[in-house]
Amino acid sequence: MQAQIMSAEEFKLELSKKDAEIERLHKMLLIHEEKSNIQIISHQIEDAKPKEEIKHLTKEDVGRYSRQLILPEFGVQGQIKLKNSAVLIVGAGGLGCPAAIYLAAAGIGRIGVVDYDEVELSNLHRQILHTTDRVGISKSMSIAQSCYRLNPSVDYVPYHLQLDSSNALDIIRNFDIILDATDNVATRYLLNDACVLADKPLVSGSALRFEGQLTVYNCNGGPCYRCLYPRPPPPEAVTNCSEGGVIGVVPGIIGSLQALEAIKIASGLGTSFQQRLLLFDALDGTFRSVKLRGRSKECSVCGESPSVIQLIDYEQFCGSRATDKDHQIKVLDDSSRINVKEYWTMLQERTPHILLDVRPIVEVDICKLPHPAINIPFTAFINNVTESASQIVQEVKDLAQKHQPEASASTINVPVVCVCRRGNDSQLAVEKLQKELAGKGVKVLDIKGGLHSWSKEVDPEFPVY
Amino acid sequence: MYIYIYIYTSKVTLLFFAKSREIIGHKEARLHIPSASTGRHILKYIVKAYPELNLIANNLVLSLNEEYLELDRQVTLQENDEIAVIPPISGG
Repeated sequence: MQAQIMSAEEFKLELSKKDAEIERLHKMLLIHEEKSNIQIISHQIEDAKPKEEIKHLTKEDVGRYSRQLILPEFGVQGQIKLKNSAVLIVGAGGLGCPAAIYLAAAGIGRIGVVDYDEVELSNLHRQILHTTDRVGISKSMSIAQSCYRLNPSVDYVPYHLQLDSSNALDIIRNFDIILDATDNVATRYLLNDACVLADKPLVSGSALRFEGQLTVYNCNGGPCYRCLYPRPPPPEAVTNCSEGGVIGVVPGIIGSLQALEAIKIASGLGTSFQQRLLLFDALDGTFRSVKLRGRSKECSVCGESPSVIQLIDYEQFCGSRATDKDHQIKVLDDSSRINVKEYWTMLQERTPHILLDVRPIVEVDICKLPHPAINIPFTAFINNVTESASQIVQEVKDLAQKHQPEASASTINVPVVCVCRRGNDSQLAVEKLQKELAGKGVKVLDIKGGLHSWSKEVDPEFPVY
Repeated sequence: MYIYIYIYTSKVTLLFFAKSREIIGHKEARLHIPSASTGRHILKYIVKAYPELNLIANNLVLSLNEEYLELDRQVTLQENDEIAVIPPISGG
């Protein structure tokens, strides 16, 4: 009897798995069928098919766009101008998604979307055109598909590639208005210079944490990005969304404003931000607007005697990569590092050690290793290495006392094991600690790859953020 | 004989945005700055009061009462003028 009930449960489980699989296949089929309507450009630069000039609106157009057609400022002429415009969105993320969907809805003639990346689960709280079942597929394709469902009369050109100095001008020349919806400094300078060289207005948006900024560069005598920021910030002064976090609605608002400005420029209404910087503070609920300077005569790209007359190497110029992905650093030699499996063995064997977690408290609340840890956030640690070190040494001594009361100070064999999210801060902390504790006989180690590696190689149930 | 030199100062409100807010840890502050200043002087005074800003002192925009402040511009600051420190945000 018992066995029969169990097997019925098993049948149900098996059935529900198969149902889910069939549903997933249906969705994939739908995506593939839709793909045939969209010309995806991924490797070399092919010119998108030229579009015929539109002079009249169809019955379908009048129906679809009626609520904006009856605006006297916009009207039929505004709509025809939109339909004859091509807008390029660089970055298919938190800014690019809301921008794309409003541009598609409004009936821009052609929308290009550039992004080299694929959809990840951690994108979905803000990159609202991607879907859970599209994790792993091209972001630019995903945006084109979502927009196509809203408005199939728009021509979508997804570029599944990294914008760089070799292709930027060729791509940009196919469009009238460019949206900077990127997530890194190097691509922002690249896009700025390319827009100056190709003489295109650049509707630039950015967002981080609870703040957003919006400006239209290189438009009607207004400044370019370099007029305001001639020098890139040092890489260590740049925070990205994966490090600093962001509330999804903030890029949502800024991206929507980018679409609005692009629509105003395309329809002939003109932008309000060609010499104006909008500062949005979501925590205070305030929008401030700062009147900017005009074009700078000394500007190295749009000034009177420019030194930048063609695109340069922007990763070199900025000293940072053209992505918002954190790269792995290596500052320690292998004798000061252990991998996650070795640490797992230490836990299994109950090897006495001090675990030092250098993540911010807000991240410790998300998840932590299954061993008590001292938490000293990295910034607090760096600001006061000496005090942190003496706190750690005290803990080491206390633990050593417990396990080997007779040992002398010179033979303490309780190691300090340092961990963080990805294994970068932990290395820097270990390096500082080793210097501070030189000659004190305390072994300090870093866990390679941090909690991300722990999740990948030891505990697949461990949350990744 | 004594020579007295009076430097008139104005108490202004500083507004910090983006990275400067992150570095300093708050959004607003009050600071005495010599009333007859240039944009460059004002930046120098701000960095002197908040040395942590040195890291990004060359990568920000200053505004005075919501208007871009060029480094070379001569200004006469009034009490309660609002000076914003605006580094660019690059995320998205």
